Amino acid sequence: MNRKKHRREKPDAVVQRLMNIVGEREVFYLKEDLISYECDGYTMSKGMPKAVVFVKSTEHVSAVVRCLNEEKIPYIARGAGTGLSGGATPLGGEVIISLVRMKRMLHLDLENRKAVVEPGFINLKLTQSISDKGYYYAPDPSSQYACTIGGNVAENSGGAHCLKYGVTTNHILGLEVVLPNGEVIEIGEEGIPDQPGYDLLGLLTGSEGTLGIVTKITVKVLKNPEGKKTVLAYYDDINDASQAVSEIIAAGIIPAALEMMDSIAIEGVESAAYPVGHPRDIAAFLLIEVDGIAAGIDDQIDEILTVCKHNNVREVKVAKDEAERGLWWANRKMGFGAMGAISPDYLVQDGVIPRTRLPEVLGKIAEISKKYELRIANIFHAGDGNLHPLILFDASIPGQSERAAKAGSECLKVCADVGGSITGEHGVGIEKSAEMRFIFSDAEMTAQTNIRAVFNPEDLLNPGKLFPQPGQCVEIKQAGQGDRSTVPVNAMGRGD
Amino acid sequence: MIASYLDGILPKEQIRINDELRHPLGNGGLQLIEANSEEDISKVLAFAYSHNKTVNVISGGTKRGFGGENERADILLSLANYKGIVEHSVGDLTMTVKPGTTLKEITDELHKHGQRVALDASWPELATIGGIIAANDSGPKRLLYGSARDLVIGTRIVYPDGNVVRTGGKVVKNVAGYDMNKLFIGSMGTLGIISEITIKLRPLPKYEGLSLLQFPIGKEQDIREFSIKILDSMAEPVSLEILNPSIAEKMTGNRQDTLAISFEDREKAVLDQENWVETHLPFGGEHVVLHEEDARQWWEKFRHFGPNGYHDTESEADTQAALKVGSNNLDVLVNMVAADNLAAEHHVAVEAHGGIGHGISRIYVKGLPEDIVSYTRALRDKVKEKSGYVVCTHLPFILREAVGVWGEKPGYFALLEGIKRTNDPKNILNRNRFVGGI
Repeated sequence: MNRKKHRREKPDAVVQRLMNIVGEREVFYLKEDLISYECDGYTMSKGMPKAVVFVKSTEHVSAVVRCLNEEKIPYIARGAGTGLSGGATPLGGEVIISLVRMKRMLHLDLENRKAVVEPGFINLKLTQSISDKGYYYAPDPSSQYACTIGGNVAENSGGAHCLKYGVTTNHILGLEVVLPNGEVIEIGEEGIPDQPGYDLLGLLTGSEGTLGIVTKITVKVLKNPEGKKTVLAYYDDINDASQAVSEIIAAGIIPAALEMMDSIAIEGVESAAYPVGHPRDIAAFLLIEVDGIAAGIDDQIDEILTVCKHNNVREVKVAKDEAERGLWWANRKMGFGAMGAISPDYLVQDGVIPRTRLPEVLGKIAEISKKYELRIANIFHAGDGNLHPLILFDASIPGQSERAAKAGSECLKVCADVGGSITGEHGVGIEKSAEMRFIFSDAEMTAQTNIRAVFNPEDLLNPGKLFPQPGQCVEIKQAGQGDRSTVPVNAMGRGD
Repeated sequence: MIASYLDGILPKEQIRINDELRHPLGNGGLQLIEANSEEDISKVLAFAYSHNKTVNVISGGTKRGFGGENERADILLSLANYKGIVEHSVGDLTMTVKPGTTLKEITDELHKHGQRVALDASWPELATIGGIIAANDSGPKRLLYGSARDLVIGTRIVYPDGNVVRTGGKVVKNVAGYDMNKLFIGSMGTLGIISEITIKLRPLPKYEGLSLLQFPIGKEQDIREFSIKILDSMAEPVSLEILNPSIAEKMTGNRQDTLAISFEDREKAVLDQENWVETHLPFGGEHVVLHEEDARQWWEKFRHFGPNGYHDTESEADTQAALKVGSNNLDVLVNMVAADNLAAEHHVAVEAHGGIGHGISRIYVKGLPEDIVSYTRALRDKVKEKSGYVVCTHLPFILREAVGVWGEKPGYFALLEGIKRTNDPKNILNRNRFVGGI
């Protein structure tokens, strides 16, 4: 990259110190270089970082953290920037520590079923690099072709297959972590389970980069299942589809994946890169995958077909080959991006409900859609009750962004009110920090921030994330101010 | 002495002076309080907190020998009466339960609905779910089903000051806030008292099979090769547990190294995997297969080995200990051999089993106190060579300091201390029960 000609401003003393650690070319500090770091995959909130530092080793991370601590400058760890809740988005003035160049696999031990990777290692690449030996890495977020395992640890990412295989936390065996004081610790040494002491592995996974910066990750790898079959079922009534989901689970089947899309979502994916030819007039489809010992799969598929038919399915079919299965999944995994084909802008939500409450919650989301006069597409991991309402809007029409944000928040309230959660896999970040109050009391959040203080006492590491900022909730909920994109920035006093 | 200072906190019949002052396992209390509700727990802790009284917690008593370098606290709070299923959402495969409920009570209730909690910890009719979670207990089937940290989705915790805090939630997928559930699993009650647990359930398996593979003594290499092969095969064993000859003899009648390989799936899938085992049998290995009720009964019996907090005798020569060894998966085999070899050297009797594939081994030791001390030290040194650890999950009170229940402090001990100080600044709860004297 020819950056010299852009170098009009001189680096300040802090940037110079960072350059001394990682090298001059490894620090971005000019505005034009920083713009792409204003936000992550959640684009409704943006902030300008002070600099971006590209680290290559644990020692780099530790030295950078020590330096920023001395300078009292807040900082954020960032991977591929695919996060959907603003976890890696600056509020303004932070230094971003980019881990994308720490992308090696350090160790592979198939006999003990583990691999050690650096945080910038890309999720899908892990599966690709061991698939010839018959192994894979289970957590499969839709962004897996781009997202990093470090980011997955920070967010405790899920994916379509976590119904059977669990989320990231169930697959992390060990971590090397740089603490906010620069100290390097190793937890879950060599990936050996149940190490004596509090379960810091479990605490750090999903802490959204607020407790430490992960520099090495030991993950569990799994053997590829011997057999796999995938079913696609079209429904004229979404309640029938929901009922089928419940009956499949009640039959004692744990599918590897159990996905649902409604008609607006189908309109989107059929207009995008991987159309399957789904009928346009159906209310919903179910995508059901069963895997495991080949000899046991056909019986399960038969039972699933019976349940589908029993619940008034219009058409149900089993993928005839890997190509067809692949197309169905490509179509499904395009889900979010496909909304771009039918709407200028969209907001993804990530609520979780007890799966038995699905029909009721879908009804309420339809009411929210009507109330705000915005179309809402629904893509869900139906098997584990994880809903992704996609609120379609046009940011160029005044007031629509605000209405979309309010509608999104109301969807989460519905989830919270039926005993669910505001996020199943995308994290809280900036986006849902106010909504934390839907599910936790002040005392419960204080219990959490007290733990943060043990690790991150000065709150320099990824400040302003995860928890409501002082006054934030009141402003939004009572005055009905929906534009959360500005609230946290103002609340932190770090706005541009 | 009378129980005066607790009068008025709870009804009199729930409080009594504990006459059992010198329990061989320690972890007692001068006054025994029975909690019947979360509110009771909260009242007792709020009182203790404001009056600087220390509190130990007990339910089924099976973990009484696990940790604890203080013989007694001011108060011994029993949750054994605080039991029952609060909510079982059959369609959601989740259950909320009170901590004093035994694993067997839970299993029996869920069985009626074709479901279960996939935790196969020992002594299910005595061990309570609260104790199992607080001590992070597990059994051989964690290989496929995971352990408490994979199953618990929410809790209610009474903090040492008496306030109740919820962690997690009631849905199976949830990343809102820190995963605080994890802090309490295996924390030995040092951060708060678990007053309610929400846990993921599984459907009962459609069919169960158990393959018992018996190997002539001294064929460790064959066991290793076979284990690597099955782990690399299409099979999805629920357990791949190696039994040392002495425990195998009690289970099977044959004093041989034995692999207990469980399959739980559709019948055809189970039979197919058993067939794989049969066709890959190492030379000299013997394959016995049990199905359904026979397999279930075998495991039921297996869950009744090792100390349970009630069988410690007066006789010094029969002093009991239980050790939990964590290691790399395949090092379980090395550790099993070491456990037996060292037993001969240190004049103790050992029954042992370990999960090749999950890395946790259990070693039950019987002998003279001084031999148990030297055996445990020697085993710990051996296991450490391959980065493993030894934790004493059962040990008489008088031996705990000498042996060191938890081994060395981890390098990040300051964080653990910080967490303890944050939750329990007055250090009243289960004092000295955990790592490094926490």
